[in-house]
Amino acid sequence: MPGADEKCMTMEQAVDHFVRDGYSVAYGGIAGREPMAVSYEIARQRKRNLIFITATTVDSAEILIAGGCVKRVECAYIWVGVIGRGNNYRRAVEKGIPNDLEVEECSNFGMSMRFMAGALGLPFMPVKSLLGSDIITHNPSIKVMDDPYGGGPVALVPAARPDVAFIHVQRADKAGNAQIWGMLGNDDNLARAAKAVIITCEEIIPTSEIRKIPNMTAIPSYCVTAVVKVPFCSHPLPVSGYYWMDIPFRRGMVAASKTRKGIVSWMDEWIYGLKDFEAYKEKVGSERLARVQQMEFENYRIPHISDKE
Amino acid sequence: MTQAKECSTAELMASVVARQIRNDDVVFIGVGIPLIAGIVAVSTHAPEAILVYEGGGIGARTRRIPWTISDNPTTDNALAATQMWRVFGDQQRGFITLGVIGGAEVDRFGNLNTTVILGVDGTYARPKVRLPGSGGANDIASSALRTIIMMRLQKGKFVNRVQYITSPGYLTGPGEREKAGLHGTGPVMVVTDRCIFAFDDQTKEMVLRNLYPGVKVEEVKQLVDWDLAVSPDLGEVKPPTEEQLRAMRTFDSMGLILEKKTAKESESFDDFFKHMRCAYESIHLNF
Repeated sequence: MPGADEKCMTMEQAVDHFVRDGYSVAYGGIAGREPMAVSYEIARQRKRNLIFITATTVDSAEILIAGGCVKRVECAYIWVGVIGRGNNYRRAVEKGIPNDLEVEECSNFGMSMRFMAGALGLPFMPVKSLLGSDIITHNPSIKVMDDPYGGGPVALVPAARPDVAFIHVQRADKAGNAQIWGMLGNDDNLARAAKAVIITCEEIIPTSEIRKIPNMTAIPSYCVTAVVKVPFCSHPLPVSGYYWMDIPFRRGMVAASKTRKGIVSWMDEWIYGLKDFEAYKEKVGSERLARVQQMEFENYRIPHISDKE
Repeated sequence: MTQAKECSTAELMASVVARQIRNDDVVFIGVGIPLIAGIVAVSTHAPEAILVYEGGGIGARTRRIPWTISDNPTTDNALAATQMWRVFGDQQRGFITLGVIGGAEVDRFGNLNTTVILGVDGTYARPKVRLPGSGGANDIASSALRTIIMMRLQKGKFVNRVQYITSPGYLTGPGEREKAGLHGTGPVMVVTDRCIFAFDDQTKEMVLRNLYPGVKVEEVKQLVDWDLAVSPDLGEVKPPTEEQLRAMRTFDSMGLILEKKTAKESESFDDFFKHMRCAYESIHLNF
C-alpha cells in the first residue's frame, strides 16, 4: 500500500492518470454528491470512448455525453429530472450528436446488484425485478432462470467492475477512509467493485476524527487509490451537510442544452474557457457558493462530536 | 373536517393519493406530486407512515422540498440514512407496502413506458423520443406490495399496448405477473387529472372508477385507446379537505410543484433563494 500522502493529488492529475480513452467509468452519489468537477475535467481533457456505468446519474452524465466523451452507457436512468429533460442524452441517442451512444439498460435495483456482485467478487446476482419487462428484451446480458431451489423465475445481472470510480464524499483522511453523511447510494459497493477508486472530498480530516464516528466510514482506505480535496465538487448539485442545490444554475444549464449550439457555448463558457475548477468557482462567485452553503447549514449539518468525557 | 371550496388539479391529485396512504404504510415515494401527497398524509391522517426514498433516506422530516429522490432533504431528520441497494432490497423482501410511480405511456393492463417512444420508423436503439429509462420504477412496479400510477390523461398516452414495458402492470392479463415471477400485487389505481381508474379483479383491465367534478364519461372514453369499461360504482372524487390543502400549501408555499408560476425560469439566484428561505422558515416541524 502507498503511504497516506502518496495518495493525495490534484483533480487534473487524477483524471489524466486514471481515465484512459475507452475505460469504463462510474460515479458515486445520485444527484447529491455527483462529482460535477470530475465531469468538467474529463470534458476539458477531451477523453473519448468511455463506458459510463451507473444506476441513476443526472447532470454529471449529461456533461460527459455533451462533451463527446462517452460511447456507451450502462444505466437505469439518465436525465436532469424535475428541472428539465436530459437534452444531451436525447440528442446522442436520437440523432447521434455529438456521437452515437449505445445504451444497455437495467433498473436502479438491477444496477445496484451489479455493483454488489462486483463488490462481493461474485459473477452475478439474482433479482426479482426486471421480470416480464422489455428491459430484458433489449439487454442480452440479463438472463432469466428458474431458482434451482424451486422459487420460480429470477433475473440474473452480471457484476459491474468499472476501470475507475470517482466517489465524492463529505470528508476523508489522507489515506482515503471516506465518511458519507446522508444517503449512501451504492457507494460502499462501487468502491469495492471498481479497479481504481478516486475519493474526492469536501474536507480532509485527521484520522483521529474519522475514529470518532467509525459508522460513518462507508469506504475504508484499502479500497482507495487516490484522494483529491475538492470543495464544492458537486456544484450545482448538493452535498448533504455542506451545501444545497443551486437550482437557478441548473436551470441555466438545461436551458442552454435545448440546442447543440447552446450547450457547446455553455461548455465553452464554463469548462473549456476555464483553466480548472478553481476558475469555475471564481466565476460562480464565492458569495453565491457561501449562500448555498448557508442554506444547508440552516437546515442540517453533521453533528459535532466533542472530545469531552 | 371541512371541504375546501377551490383547489387546483394538482392539489386534487395530491389529495387523492394522500388518502391512499395508510398510517401503517411504508411508502416508496417519488418527487413531484407523489411527494406532496406523502407529506400531506404524514401531516394529517397518517403520522406514522414512513416515506422511503430511492437514494437511501428513510422517514425524513424536512422543511425543504426534495428536488430528487436523493436530494439533501431526503435525509433531513430521518430515521435512517442508508443505501440504494438496501432500500430496494427491503422492497424485494416485502417491507414496502405502497409505491407511487408515473410514466409517459400506460396501457389497459397498467404496464408503463418511461423508456422510448419509437415513432413511425424508429427502433429501440434510435427512437423518435428517448426518455429517462426505468430508474427505480421497474423495481417498484415489480415488488412493492401495491402500486399507484399517477399520470395526466392525454390522447395517445393511454394505449392498448405500450411500445416498451419499462415497469410491469398486469403484463398481458390475469395470472401473467405470477407466471413471470413477480412478487408485488401490481397497480391498484391510476390517478389522473380528470378521473381515477381502478383495475378489474377478474380481467385486470383498467376501469373508470371516479370522475373529477364536471368531467363526463364520454370525455374520458375519447382519451383512452381501448373500449373502456365503467365501474358500476362510478362516483365523483371527493375534494381535498381544508386540512390537506393547508398542509400542501404550507410545504409548497411557492407553488413549485402545485402548478403555480412563482418559480419562473428567469428568476435570479437571489430571488430564488429568498423565496426558498421564506418557504422553509414558514414550516415548523413537530415530531
